[in-house]
Amino acid sequence: MVNEQEIEIVAKLMKIEIDDHKEYIDKVHAMIDYFDILDNAGVQDEEISMKDIPLSNLREDKHIPYEDKLIERLNNYKGTYVRAPKMI
Amino acid sequence: MTKIGLEIHCQLTNLESKLFCPCKANYREYEPNTNICPICIGLPGSLPRLNQKAIEKASMIAMALNCSTPEKIAFFRKNYFYPDLPKNFQITQLNIYGDTSIGGLGYTMVGEKKIRITRVQLEEDPGRLIYEGSSSKNQTTLVDYNRAGTPLVEIVTEPDFENPKQVREFLNILSDLLQNLGVSDPSLEGAMRADANVSIEGGNKVEIKNIGSFHDLEKAIHFEITRQESLYSRNIPIVQETRHWDDRRKITISARSKEEELDYRYFLEGDIPWIRIDKDTQERLQKEMPESISSKKDRYVSKYGIPAQVADVLSSDKFYSDLFEQSHNEKNAKEIANIITTDLMGLVDTREKREQSKFTSKHLEELADAIQSGKITRNSAKNALYEIVKTGKDLTQIIAELDLGNVSDESEIEKIINEVISQEPQAVEQAKKNPQTINYLVGKVMQKTKGKADPKLTLDLLKNKIK
Amino acid sequence: MSLRISALEYVQEVQNGNISAEDYVSKTIEQINNVDENLHAFLQINSEAIDNARQIDKKIKSGKNVGACFGMPISIKDNICIKDSKTTCASNMLENFIAPYDATVISKLKQQDAIFVGKTNLDEFAMGLTTEFSAFGPSRNPWNLDYVPGGSSGGSAVSVSAFECLASLGSDTGGSVRNPASFCGVVGFKPTYGLISRFGLISYANSIEQIGPIARTVKDTAFILNMIAGLDPNDNTTIDNSNQDYLLGIDSGIEGKKIGIIKEMIGEGIDSAVMSATKNAISKFQGLGAVCEEVSLDMVKYSVAAYYTITATEAGSNLARYDNLRYGYDFPVEGYEFNSYISKARRKFGPEVTRRMILGGFVPSSGHAGKYFLKALKVKQKLTQEIDQLFKKYDFLIAPTVPVLPFKIGEKIDDPVALFLVDINTVTANLTGKPAISVPFEISNGLPIGIQIFANSNDDKSLLQAARALESTVKLPEVPI
Ligand SMILES: [Zn+2]
Repeated sequence: MVNEQEIEIVAKLMKIEIDDHKEYIDKVHAMIDYFDILDNAGVQDEEISMKDIPLSNLREDKHIPYEDKLIERLNNYKGTYVRAPKMI
Repeated sequence: MTKIGLEIHCQLTNLESKLFCPCKANYREYEPNTNICPICIGLPGSLPRLNQKAIEKASMIAMALNCSTPEKIAFFRKNYFYPDLPKNFQITQLNIYGDTSIGGLGYTMVGEKKIRITRVQLEEDPGRLIYEGSSSKNQTTLVDYNRAGTPLVEIVTEPDFENPKQVREFLNILSDLLQNLGVSDPSLEGAMRADANVSIEGGNKVEIKNIGSFHDLEKAIHFEITRQESLYSRNIPIVQETRHWDDRRKITISARSKEEELDYRYFLEGDIPWIRIDKDTQERLQKEMPESISSKKDRYVSKYGIPAQVADVLSSDKFYSDLFEQSHNEKNAKEIANIITTDLMGLVDTREKREQSKFTSKHLEELADAIQSGKITRNSAKNALYEIVKTGKDLTQIIAELDLGNVSDESEIEKIINEVISQEPQAVEQAKKNPQTINYLVGKVMQKTKGKADPKLTLDLLKNKIK
Repeated sequence: MSLRISALEYVQEVQNGNISAEDYVSKTIEQINNVDENLHAFLQINSEAIDNARQIDKKIKSGKNVGACFGMPISIKDNICIKDSKTTCASNMLENFIAPYDATVISKLKQQDAIFVGKTNLDEFAMGLTTEFSAFGPSRNPWNLDYVPGGSSGGSAVSVSAFECLASLGSDTGGSVRNPASFCGVVGFKPTYGLISRFGLISYANSIEQIGPIARTVKDTAFILNMIAGLDPNDNTTIDNSNQDYLLGIDSGIEGKKIGIIKEMIGEGIDSAVMSATKNAISKFQGLGAVCEEVSLDMVKYSVAAYYTITATEAGSNLARYDNLRYGYDFPVEGYEFNSYISKARRKFGPEVTRRMILGGFVPSSGHAGKYFLKALKVKQKLTQEIDQLFKKYDFLIAPTVPVLPFKIGEKIDDPVALFLVDINTVTANLTGKPAISVPFEISNGLPIGIQIFANSNDDKSLLQAARALESTVKLPEVPI
């Protein structure tokens, strides 16, 4: 069972500020409770793997400058920088 | 016993492009945010395009560190928010679903000491933050993403070091090794960084992060050992924690806070399939790997009779060993090794000097031949080399311009010998009694000819005169 | 000239000189102007569409080479990037985002002279199955305006169903193409994972999602697929399809094929009308010469929980980049500390996205990954093994696309777990990477029911043949608009 405090910690981890705590927590709770059925799937012994491709399918190491001045399309500061908030 | 482990980050600076996009891997000469594209800036809809050569080079590093190399490698996401991380996750490697990092367990020797390697992984470097404003109140954080996505190899060691000296030796060896592989230029600013963990007998492991240079790394380890020993002697427990190196005050500071307790939520990067590096490919890479430093050294000693110490110096620096390889042949090898290690190294001892210097391997070849054929003396060769490095001019031209050619005309040398004999009657007498001292007179002749007289001829002529 | 033709008929008519691209596109825009106020399929209309059509007519007249689309009006889900135009994902967070590039599917269609009439509505970041979670308001079902059109590619399905375009591209993460296709009475196709490049598709759960065509006929679907499928250097997960022609032999039929009916997808909670439609579909298949029998896919019971665990985890990571620093909406950083700024900026995410992000932080976190995320991955793994096993014996598997009929707008929006169960028949194709298609089959009480067919990986071509065979047995009434 998941408690309210845990969900608040997660919201902070995900950098999400929420107003309507109760409303979010109830719904998220309901969802997580539903996930408990995974316990019955009996899949402990399965191994995780993924599709693989040969090394030769990958991109050739070549420098191709981007044709556009991308920074001009972004939120820029003093022309060439991106500005971030204070880092304490 | 003190135990020290390292996490070394090394950029593959010699690659053309970044790990997941075609932007330049060596970002150093760019204006802020001009070496970026939708992929490395993480624009929505962009996908990583893995660089084949980055995998190959990282794999070579793993092989050179005697690591196991799995046949399939996987990439993971390490999730955390930071402004230098355009996607707010870093694509990296991990061994949670079996050994899927580019390199597994390995080792490298530091003298007689075996340092075990835990793993080698390939990942992307974040961008760079620049802080403007003096106080924390008016601080502005600026972000330059030129570095974001630069291929980075992380090498993690077991805590096998016992003191900072071993750490330094290991880092030197590693740095030479990376350079020799042609994957990186460790002398570039920020190309090699390291974090350390330190524990003393009876204490917990403490990690030190945020260390700017290898010089500071040694200091940080020293500081940390002293700090921990002091705590221990006063019976204060040493807590397991992460500490930051304070560059200004040269101390470590506890970084423990709620915010630091990150949960990276590692999981597989679905945009990159697992990469198959089968046995054939591994064998090909092994073959393509440049000769190792120790093998080069052995070869220089056994094949050319170069003294072990000279061979050691020559083989461990890629720049010089490449020069040697390009210029030597069976006959002149020893001479060239000699020119490089006694004269050239002093002339181009910094990166800038190397870049500005004008000499080529051809020059070295000609120089060695000139010495061996008696065209110029060793001494003159040194002066010629200085001029070559500066101007890049032809050796013959330099010999002519600076009048460095040997005086091998018998009559001319005889004239000078006669002068010397008349000026140094005592020395002549002595030489008659004790032939060993004739060298003094040879030296005098050399002085008068500014080192250009053929030494062998001079000696023969002198001997005849004095007999 | 009628708008009510198929894409292939359009190509024929334009080629024969019976209609011009300009005529058809103008009429299409007119239709959008007439009906979209009620339907809300579109978030943006391309104001240059008619001009583009005129250009293509010129090209045709001058005898130049013309692409296979001949100016065909196509709509695009608003999570697929078109260069220099807005791509919002129906989110306030991206309301001003202008992509500097075309998605691979877009460049391929441009090369074939398709015309993009507009960007269609979706659940915010494709998280939903009703299109009610769009930050810009829901779309409505053309068969009955009180009902949801399904989702998340609701706008795409509506636009195809209501003659606001000839075909559309949606994206399918857990049924987001097939579900609205089923609810709106059109064809929706989710290809084998990797068949269509995802470059330029804004990721929600990248390890399982695919772009997929929505069209009025199976042949139109194959026609669109021909143009957009195949290996793409911009997407490392794409597969080589050797330039297959999916239209060629599409009428081959399914005589002698073996079809498995997935038991777990017609069990508890299935609507009786959907059940009876499924039975009818089975007899049609049998009538076409196929052998049908019931099969079991045990892991389906856990598939929805696994699906939401995996998608929430990937979404939490994929949406992390929306921190408003590099692009986004106007909200200056002055005076804020990093964490508080980001957390405030991210309040622009709607409630469903916010919920899934919280889930996405929770289920893979170090304390809970073993209980949720890892198990979910293992269910995915085992489900894939099970279905692979079935495909050794069967050519196709079938089930209703959605176990329930379309429901009313607002009916389920507040009950996330009730919504989960609507996905039960579609997520399997995504978790296993298999191709699946929804074919409109019956109308019950004025609402469409779709039948879903699955095939093995890379059997997309034979899947389309089976879908075409089923489609040929069906004659649905006209959409009441
Ligand atoms: Zn880039």
